[in-house]
Amino acid sequence: MAELTDAELRKELLALGYRPGPITATTRKVYIKKLGCLRAEASPSRQRSGFTSGAARESEEEDEEEDEEEVGRAPASRWGTSGESGGQAWGDPRGSPPGRGGGVRAEGGLSRDSLGRLSPSEQWGTTVERGKEAERDAGGRAGGLIRRFPWRAASDGGHGVTPRSALLRSAPRQQPEGKGKGLEYYLSQFLCLASLVLLLIFLGILVVKMVGSGWLDGREDSFNLLPVDCDKRTDDFCQAKHKDVTMAVLHELYSYLSVQAGNFECGNPENLKSKCIWVSEVKDHVLNVTGSSSQKFEAALHWILNSNKDLGIRLKGRDLSEPVSSVEEVFCLESAHPQMGLGCRFRRAVVTAIMNLFLFFWSLITLWGILIYLRYRWRKMEEEEQAMYEMVKKIIAVVQDHYKEWERNLERYPYVGIFHVRDSLIPPQSRKKMKRVWERAVDFLASNESRIQTESHRVAGEDMLVWRWTQPSYLSDSEH
Amino acid sequence: LGTSGDIRDVLGRKLEEKGFDKAYVVLGQFLVLRKDEELFREWLKETCGANAKQSRDCSGCLREWCDAFL
Repeated sequence: MAELTDAELRKELLALGYRPGPITATTRKVYIKKLGCLRAEASPSRQRSGFTSGAARESEEEDEEEDEEEVGRAPASRWGTSGESGGQAWGDPRGSPPGRGGGVRAEGGLSRDSLGRLSPSEQWGTTVERGKEAERDAGGRAGGLIRRFPWRAASDGGHGVTPRSALLRSAPRQQPEGKGKGLEYYLSQFLCLASLVLLLIFLGILVVKMVGSGWLDGREDSFNLLPVDCDKRTDDFCQAKHKDVTMAVLHELYSYLSVQAGNFECGNPENLKSKCIWVSEVKDHVLNVTGSSSQKFEAALHWILNSNKDLGIRLKGRDLSEPVSSVEEVFCLESAHPQMGLGCRFRRAVVTAIMNLFLFFWSLITLWGILIYLRYRWRKMEEEEQAMYEMVKKIIAVVQDHYKEWERNLERYPYVGIFHVRDSLIPPQSRKKMKRVWERAVDFLASNESRIQTESHRVAGEDMLVWRWTQPSYLSDSEH
Repeated sequence: LGTSGDIRDVLGRKLEEKGFDKAYVVLGQFLVLRKDEELFREWLKETCGANAKQSRDCSGCLREWCDAFL
């Protein structure tokens, strides 16, 4: 494009069928670009000569698309259309900047072989393409746009691309969905399985807790085999038998105590006073059930005292907090593992959970309330500070004006009474309310304002505190 | 110029530097380009780097104004 004079540019444009406006300094560049576009449109062989105009890019893309569609390589054409839609996605479908379209294409070219990168761009391309198509077709602007942009090459090509690309879209759509579906499917299966396993574990634990005491029943068989009288003898066999008897007693003791404790915890049908049951009662019950003598019972108690394992039975003396050291001190017995029914347990669990939740929420609410209150306080203090500073400003203005008027001989004294200032600044109905603010302002002035002096003078016959402006030169003060 | 058809402050300043300090001057440019929206957008992009949306808004606004008042 050697010719750069306005007239020739104008002639060229007219020759190509476009009516330009005046070619001025500001419009020249645009018209030169327009000329390039029109020339590109006019001579198709020049399309690949590296024009950087938008039309060249779009027509290049379309040609590439058409080539690839002819070859029939689905991935490439997908990429091509996604590239185009990507290029379109970069803003206005018509006026997109030339450089960016090339950038998207280069990026697409690199990812041509890796399918992984295709899927996000496809998906994105799909949605964008669909959106753009809808926008284009529904608006009915296609025809108008073509008219407006005469450098848009092969308008039929543009239209032809869209139905073909729409058809081709249906094929790749399954693939990203299938892959995503696999992941979600496996995840959901895993979660289902995990929840089932956890449920089973929970049920197992529940069962164990409920019928745990049943395990100890097996012990009773062992000493029904030989009816040997072992009270007097102390050989090994008898010692073992003694131990078994003791164990039986203990077992019965344990179950009795746990049943009682469970009853006490779960509704207390027998109206027990506490979980701790008196020795005498326990002894009677156990001896009734096992049919052994009280020595065996005491031996069992001894055993409990001497063993340092946790047997689930607590021995309590008369003084409930002291540990028991001998059998005689034992006053009552208590089970550490009360046996409660499933419904009772469930109820207790729910109640505990709800109470904890409530506690949590109440504490949260309390903290929040405290926070709100604190914020309110701070805000109030801030407002008071602001009010005080406002008052201080007003006072300074009043005192200064008074002084100026005194200089102009309109006032009698160079100072003004504090109370007079107060009464002139604060209307009577707010005096009580503003009392605090006023006093703070007065203190502030006394301590921080150097231009106002607080003195005591006789004004209008009475002694009062006054303020006097002490800055003789009219320096501009901080307000102006 | 800060409120002419959604051109933002930065772009307004750039236009002012080029001499388009008032909205009517930009309108003038639009009219000189014979109310060709695409050319005007091209020009806008060249002159002050407006992106596609901004230039579209501006050109649309100017066109509507012209349609209403000229």
